[in-house]
Amino acid sequence: MNDDASPPRPWLASYGTSIPRDLPAPRYRSLADLADRTCRQNAARTAFTCVVPNGMNGSLSYARLAEMSDAFAAFLRIDCGLQPGDRVAVQLPNGLAYPVAAFGTFKAGCVLVNTNPLYTAPEMIHQFRDSGAKVLVIVDMFADKLAEVIAQTDIGTVVLAGVSEFFPSLPRLIVRGVQKYWNRVLPPVPDLPVRTLRLRAALKAGRAHRAPVADYWQGTGRDDLALLQYTGGTTGVAKGAMLTHGNILANLDQVHAVSGGVMTRDDCVLTALPLYHIFAFTANLMTFFELGARNILIPSPRPVQNLQRAIENYPVTWITGVNTLFNGLMNEEWFAAYPPRRLRAAIAGGTALHQAVARRWQAMTGTPLAEGYGLTETAPLVSFNPLDDRARPGSIGLPVPGCDVVLMDDDGRPVAQGQPGELAVRGPQVMRGYWQRDDETARTMREGWLLTGDVAVMDEGGFLRIVDRKKDLVLVSGFNVYPNEVEDVLSLMEGVLESAVVAIPDAKTGEAVRAYIVRNPDHPAELTEAEITAHCRSHLTDYKRPRSIIFRDELPKSPIGKILRKDLKAEIAREFAGKGAPC
Amino acid sequence: MLTETETTLLGIMMMVIMLGMGSSMTWRDFLIAFRKPKGILVGLVSQYVIMPFLGYALAMILGLPPAMAVGLILIACMPGGTTSNIFAYFSKGVLALSIMMTTVSTLVAVVTVPLLLNFYSGLAGVTGEYVIPAGNIAQVLIVLLVPTVLGMVLRKVNANAGATIELLGSLLGVIVILFLIGSWVPRNYEMLLNTGLPVYIAAIGIGLTGMLLGYWLARALRQDSNRARTISLETGIQNGPLAALVITLTFTGTQQQEVLFIPVLYSLFIVITSSFVTMWYRRNATAEALARDAAKIRV
Repeated sequence: MNDDASPPRPWLASYGTSIPRDLPAPRYRSLADLADRTCRQNAARTAFTCVVPNGMNGSLSYARLAEMSDAFAAFLRIDCGLQPGDRVAVQLPNGLAYPVAAFGTFKAGCVLVNTNPLYTAPEMIHQFRDSGAKVLVIVDMFADKLAEVIAQTDIGTVVLAGVSEFFPSLPRLIVRGVQKYWNRVLPPVPDLPVRTLRLRAALKAGRAHRAPVADYWQGTGRDDLALLQYTGGTTGVAKGAMLTHGNILANLDQVHAVSGGVMTRDDCVLTALPLYHIFAFTANLMTFFELGARNILIPSPRPVQNLQRAIENYPVTWITGVNTLFNGLMNEEWFAAYPPRRLRAAIAGGTALHQAVARRWQAMTGTPLAEGYGLTETAPLVSFNPLDDRARPGSIGLPVPGCDVVLMDDDGRPVAQGQPGELAVRGPQVMRGYWQRDDETARTMREGWLLTGDVAVMDEGGFLRIVDRKKDLVLVSGFNVYPNEVEDVLSLMEGVLESAVVAIPDAKTGEAVRAYIVRNPDHPAELTEAEITAHCRSHLTDYKRPRSIIFRDELPKSPIGKILRKDLKAEIAREFAGKGAPC
Repeated sequence: MLTETETTLLGIMMMVIMLGMGSSMTWRDFLIAFRKPKGILVGLVSQYVIMPFLGYALAMILGLPPAMAVGLILIACMPGGTTSNIFAYFSKGVLALSIMMTTVSTLVAVVTVPLLLNFYSGLAGVTGEYVIPAGNIAQVLIVLLVPTVLGMVLRKVNANAGATIELLGSLLGVIVILFLIGSWVPRNYEMLLNTGLPVYIAAIGIGLTGMLLGYWLARALRQDSNRARTISLETGIQNGPLAALVITLTFTGTQQQEVLFIPVLYSLFIVITSSFVTMWYRRNATAEALARDAAKIRV
């Protein structure tokens, strides 16, 4: 790699007047500082509203959130005896308990370990042991898994919260009643060898100390650790990206800079993606919280019909999501017939946005669906499309202000402009490294540059286009086939709802392209293999065309709805195990 | 006969049920449902063409006396009951379709029920004292529309209150049936014992045959099996409490008791038959889902 201190930034010319070239001077010392000041300035406004599928809801004002997160911080420090830097695992779906636990953790000077509530017991054990979490805040629906987990961890206190936590009492009881007796998803909490209590009781205990909570985080600075965000489950075990207060705060400034400062405190964002994922954590929770705006939290966005009452009942102005969520929404009749009237824009991330989806969204809602790009390791935003007509379809946009981006060849040298290369990022939002994994850190970070593993191309205006994941490439007779390109072509067919392209072994070409297709049920005629083959023939050169087409009712997806190519690859590995390559 | 207090109580409970029905949906749900109205139209046909004719035909075939015939025809002409939504849920049917059919059939009931009742009672030769004045029914229905609309408004103003009332309304639907049975059966058990088979066949058969024909009609009109099962339950499950309310407001004394006989008997048995049918449908729905899963890989 070239050790140049400041590589060229060709994208700055495309910023125009709406995007500042530099980030503003830091305004907050830490996320606790941000939370404290934001809650003071917006005390009477509504910060969070959680909406369950039947429309029942509960809200927290900024003032109430401040009071509750203070109480939780006091509970962590005094009742649990935590010290600054100690880890608190939070394993909650979107709901009012999440911001209380997250901001309480920051205010205690502790480190938040976001944990997926759907994790299996072995995954939980790994993450809790690896992070060394001492306190766990978990949704009561999944507390039964703790019986086999807790003894193998250092967790000393378990705090239970419900999906309808902090709802008004009658709706709270009804939601709990329905969960328990109707849906049977509320198993009894097992007897645990550690202290176990409900979040309300924890807050009560914390409140009783009347502790000077502001003192807890006075020593916390921008370089201190804020989050352990686990990632990289694609191969091997998950590792914790160490994100500092400064990483998140810088990324917030970057989000506001690239969006041209158009988000205001009167906005209302639909948060259907889980907050334990870095995308929604930064783009929804932190970005709109900092403005004094309102987050509409959806505990479970699947089936996508669960969003109907939330979209109907609240003046949603922004939606964040992944390709599959937007696609799913547009296939719902209630959404297609009455798209949200106050919507200003939607932000896509997490996985490649298909152009057909973006175009349909613009036509249906009259608002842009802008694609951004980011990683857990970069808190997450790296690049973003301007929200005006400068946006380039199929592009992940311009690098955000304050950071450097280069595309590198396999030897770590910058590639010529217009050539594909591995995207590397350096900037204030880049993590400190992986938690207790120096080897992994060394593999991923070189001289301050983070290697993303994504192959991209930059045009002369500085717009980036991801061609694919380095490891997802299909190598057909030595030619690179980028699955995204093939999927994009497939998504142009009306009969295709979703598709995933992966490599299969092939005797003649080494690897060949296989396409998994989910048919669009609303399409009148059932899609046939011959039609797909014909379509691909007119859009793709020979080696890029799928040699094998498999129809599925659904595709494996991650909790945020990313299609998991790795699961399909695992299936293929089993399918071809011992068979050798087919002819 | 029901005491005045009981009649009032029945009226109030009906109001709450309708309030619940109204708050189970929004104005927008209506607009959306009518963009693809086929399912609802099929439901309306089975509700207001098949069922009333079935009621009339059974009354004739079984040679029921006028009081019983009126009760049977009235039950047959009723809109869908709100309890059908609970059964639709448990049978893994299409809940939205069930709610919409119940609501739409209740709304159009203001016009259809008086007309149909008039027509079929005339055809059945019901005269004089047993005639239910069309105005009575229209009045009751119009009065019930008020809480329905109120429920929709409530839902819009306060989603928590709306959703709570919705649940309360569905529960009350079951409670009212239990209330009717509890207050009526002990006073009439002698009559129950002395009643001949035809009356039982009528009271039980109307619901079962309705479900069967509703299913066939829906399938014939190319509704998928899941929607057909929903339409089937919706067709068979009538608004029994509403029929009881109309009767108590129209008749008194022994006459009331006689006319009320089949509607109450129907309400009693429909809970039982629907439960069995729901279990059967649920098994079919699960089997179909499993079959779809198994057929996932189609190379």
